[in-house]
Amino acid sequence: MTEPLKYKTEFAEEIYALENGPYIKKCMQCGMCDVSCATRNEMDFSPRELFMLLRTGKREDFFKANTMWMCSTCLMCKVRCPRGIPLVDVMHDLKSHAIRLGYTDPPQASFYQAFWQEILGRGRVFEGGLMARYYLKRGWSEIRKGFEMRDLGMKMVMHSRIPIKPPKAIRGLKGMRAIIERAQELTQKEGR
Amino acid sequence: MSKKIGVYICSGCGIGDALDMNALAKVATKEYKVPVCKNDAFLCGRDGVEIIKKDIGDEGVNCVVVAGCSGRVNYDVFDFGPSVVVERVNLRERVAWTQEPGDEDTQAMAEDYLRMTLAKFKNLELPEPFIGEDLSKKILVVGGGLTGMTSALEAAKAGYEVLLVEKEDTLGGWLRKSYKIIPLKAPYTEPEDPGLAGRVKEIESNPRIKVYTGATIEKTSGAPGMFDVVIRQAGGTVSERVGAVVLATGAVPYDPARLEHLGYGSSPNVITQAQMEELSSRGQITRPSDGKAVQKVVFVQCAGSRDRDHLPYCSAACCVESIKQALYVKAKNPEASVYVFYKDIRSSGQYEHLYKKAQTEGVIFVKADITGVTDDGGNLTVEAQDLLMGSPTMADEVDLVVLANGMVPTTAIEDPALAEAARAEAEAAPAKEGQEAPPATEASMVIRSNILNLEYRQGPELPSLKYGFPDSHFICFPYETRRTGIYAAGSVRRPMDMAQAVEDAAGAALKAIQCVEMTARGMAVHPRSGDLSYPDFQMSRCTQCKRCTEECPFGAINEDAKANPLPNPTRCRRCGTCMGACPERIISFKNYSVPMIGNMLKAIEVPEEDEEKPRILIFACENDAIPALDMAGINRLKYSKWVRVIPVRCLGSLNLIWVNDAMSRGIDGVLLMGCKHGDDYQCHFMKGSELAGVRLSKVSETLDRLGLESERVTMTEVSIMDYDKIPKIIGDFAEKLDKLGPNPMKGF
Amino acid sequence: MRYSFYPGCSMEGAAVPYLKSFEAVADVLYMGLEEIPDWNCCGATVASGVIGDYPAQVLAARNLALAEPKRFDIVVPCSSCYMNLALTNKKFQDDKHFRAMVKEALRAGGLKYRGTLKVRQIVEVLINDVGIDKIRAAVRKPLAGLRVAGYVGCQTPRVFPWQFDDPEQPVFMDRIIEALGATPVKFPMKARCCGSSHSLTKPEITTGSGYNIISCALEDGAQVIVTPCPMCQMNLDAYQGMIKQHHQLKTEMPVLFLTQLMAIAFDLPPAAWALKYNIVSPFEALAPYGVKP
Repeated sequence: MTEPLKYKTEFAEEIYALENGPYIKKCMQCGMCDVSCATRNEMDFSPRELFMLLRTGKREDFFKANTMWMCSTCLMCKVRCPRGIPLVDVMHDLKSHAIRLGYTDPPQASFYQAFWQEILGRGRVFEGGLMARYYLKRGWSEIRKGFEMRDLGMKMVMHSRIPIKPPKAIRGLKGMRAIIERAQELTQKEGR
Repeated sequence: MSKKIGVYICSGCGIGDALDMNALAKVATKEYKVPVCKNDAFLCGRDGVEIIKKDIGDEGVNCVVVAGCSGRVNYDVFDFGPSVVVERVNLRERVAWTQEPGDEDTQAMAEDYLRMTLAKFKNLELPEPFIGEDLSKKILVVGGGLTGMTSALEAAKAGYEVLLVEKEDTLGGWLRKSYKIIPLKAPYTEPEDPGLAGRVKEIESNPRIKVYTGATIEKTSGAPGMFDVVIRQAGGTVSERVGAVVLATGAVPYDPARLEHLGYGSSPNVITQAQMEELSSRGQITRPSDGKAVQKVVFVQCAGSRDRDHLPYCSAACCVESIKQALYVKAKNPEASVYVFYKDIRSSGQYEHLYKKAQTEGVIFVKADITGVTDDGGNLTVEAQDLLMGSPTMADEVDLVVLANGMVPTTAIEDPALAEAARAEAEAAPAKEGQEAPPATEASMVIRSNILNLEYRQGPELPSLKYGFPDSHFICFPYETRRTGIYAAGSVRRPMDMAQAVEDAAGAALKAIQCVEMTARGMAVHPRSGDLSYPDFQMSRCTQCKRCTEECPFGAINEDAKANPLPNPTRCRRCGTCMGACPERIISFKNYSVPMIGNMLKAIEVPEEDEEKPRILIFACENDAIPALDMAGINRLKYSKWVRVIPVRCLGSLNLIWVNDAMSRGIDGVLLMGCKHGDDYQCHFMKGSELAGVRLSKVSETLDRLGLESERVTMTEVSIMDYDKIPKIIGDFAEKLDKLGPNPMKGF
Repeated sequence: MRYSFYPGCSMEGAAVPYLKSFEAVADVLYMGLEEIPDWNCCGATVASGVIGDYPAQVLAARNLALAEPKRFDIVVPCSSCYMNLALTNKKFQDDKHFRAMVKEALRAGGLKYRGTLKVRQIVEVLINDVGIDKIRAAVRKPLAGLRVAGYVGCQTPRVFPWQFDDPEQPVFMDRIIEALGATPVKFPMKARCCGSSHSLTKPEITTGSGYNIISCALEDGAQVIVTPCPMCQMNLDAYQGMIKQHHQLKTEMPVLFLTQLMAIAFDLPPAAWALKYNIVSPFEALAPYGVKP
């Protein structure tokens, strides 16, 4: 027989402390997010189920779930949630929290980090640069997969949809970085 | 009353295009020798109405027949005061809008309808209102809890004298036993103080309210406007006359002793919601077993409710009550763990806010079926099957388990002594020979709960339909019980939370006020509000068969020792069920009687068999079937041209002699259109359509014996929304009659 | 009508035809566009997943601060950029604590935002500021008979649900399609997700969504899809080859930016159509309207 579940609060409190964490408390398990999600079929656990993992203290299962990484920010669940939970924003918190804790196995985690480095690097995102950073992070297996997309890349180049040269960094890059740093400091000060 | 009839035929709204107006007028002037008959193209217009008013003034017309639209519209336009009888012939919705224009059978239908109405006048009189003697407009409120106190205050504020009777020594009911109550105002997130002192003070300082505490109702006799109530208080009794009663005796918690499977009785730390209120009001919440401050509390929802073995219904208030109590625990000790094990959280109305508040405070909600509650030296373990995770779940080292043990209406609580006495009496009385026992269902629906102790032939308390709640037409007039003038409110009426009870209290108070005012005018209350007629009994021909006294859905008729009916007109709802029941046909209303309807159906011209023009008679209930027929017309739905409709107050008023008459007149079939009956009945008089069904089954035997196919008389359920089905219902019946061939009695 | 214009990163790359056609169309409709000087990436759907919502919104707010001196409404073509800038702006205006936090962070870069601007979605501006009548009046070559699936995409109608349209079945863009003389088809998937954020990490999600969306448009008889979203356009157009590899797509479906179709209907020079950038050829479907390579 399966070991009976116990509802615990320690892990839940950790997540409730995130920026959009308090909203999760209001989940009433109706399942509207399940049926609204564009990528539900790709998820190990639906958002609703993920919140149950949280409530039952299943920390490892929670962070290893691909739920937050599969969220495509289409906003359907956020629009429909009868409890007004901004699920998309909750997913943002869970992603950044997972990265912070080192749960960075999913390819999406690498993609997110690559994207962010691209922003920090020049203030704008250059698709070529983003791809390079991503494949560099993922290593050979992913590059091979990326190779399958060469047709697509060729077409993009033929139709002048990928600039050859990356754009110049924005002039105020230093200021932008200072702003972000300050924001991150403030976040820490708020204890999130 | 000497009658002078004026017939006014309207040709507007397409009636003139469908019918021959002159031929129609001839029916009135030649066949019925009506002295005044006029046509107008726009009768409901100012000029049209003036024509009628002028004839009333100048010609002395006192019976006005308006042949035009349905009686359900323009009734205010064609109201000429209490001394003028107005009858409507529906040529619009029932003829012009459903039949082929210009067709001879359409014309025949219209002419028949005019004949039927004119034939009515032979037995029709102006009703004279029944005004009781020594009428009271005082309102008795039974039960001094939140509902009763609110009802009393509402009625008093509206200017009525109120008697408030409470069996406990002080007012308050559950308010007195509650630490806090659910919030009754926005933002609905904080439990409130019960505010009992303020409420009591308001009642005590109101000169219109007289309070009897520690008091019970020993006897209630009489009828609306004239209820004589004997109140027992402190060993003595007081008699009071009141006009109407609000029953606000509330509910009691479901007996927790029956909840052994949830640990009640085996551990002192398993308690009820009521015990939790008491525990919370003492300050810190502690375990009953050893007085340790609680750190972990589990609330178990649906403890008895929604459970086939206990209370099959949802008790409606317990989810919100438990959420409130969970907030007590969190407020006193934010570190405490609080769990609510639930089937479904039903925090209806504004209480979604309270639910969210509890979630935000950290109360954990677990959707699960409880499998066991065990006690290990004061520490409890709750085991359950988690319905969201599909796995067993548990909470251990629990200090307190609170059972949300639901509610049972006070009307469902049998008084053992009274019940025993009643049984003994029934056994002692020798069964009279040749006398049918009263229908078992009626008797079993009255529980001897020792609340009102009515001196009614049908039993001492209110009839119930299910689970001991007083029966009422739940959708259309929820406060009306089956005892006119007695209005149930609050959790005695149905399970509800306090906010709903407050609303209910005001609603029932208004119904009681309506009742005393209508009674003072000699008018009926819902659903025939304003009706001045009432049944008249021709006692010399009564055979004491008891059918009227037993079958009246409202227990309006008492009996004397010799089984003579003793009518109480102010209890009467004017449905005519007694009239339908009476085998001797001695019960009639001034404007509705057995001979009157008999004359109507005799006015229908029945063609000879070889003409191949059958006739179908429809008795249609005025409450739902008639509006449905009207709506069929408004939607221009076509149906059989052989139909003739007679509206009846309720199918319960249908006297079987009409069916016999119709058959012997050669009418090919009779269709009865009435409301749905059964547990989820729609009958506006609760029992009318059901009784019609029972009576009809007896007719079938007679028809078979006469060699007439019993299918010729059929009953069907029609709700107001079924208008689109009308053509098919009629069409199917016509087809069936066609297969049977013409009525063999034709031409006899 | 003058606007601060936030092009977003994609307009410098994959969405070049959007930029070109929009600039031309805006000119015809007398919309003055002034690019926000030295704007930075809005953070897309990604930044908040790395650094959290608040710092990511500060990043977006930098653009608001740069635009404020001009005091024009900011018009945003990209749906993700619109989401980030508009939500940040709304939160800045509504939430006192957030406002203080953002102000403090911006100060570190020597910037200041007072919250005076409005952030506007391009299609909404076309309808509410320019107006359908003006658009209709600008049409020189009505696209009579052309059946168009208006693919609004997922974020645009849902950032502020019901503010200008139904968040699940928006119709506002269909009104522009009608004004161009074309016929909008029913297309119930008009606001479904195209799976854009997975286009690199799990392209099968993107191609699967794309297949469903294109099939739906085909079923409803569309000849072209138009969209106001750079990501939607790229995933349906550039990825269509991959979609065909993995799914049974009946026929090819050209995918245009809304502004490209407007440029054609306004009979602007072919440079304004910017059709050479489109990967799935739109020329067959648009031949009856004089559109040639």
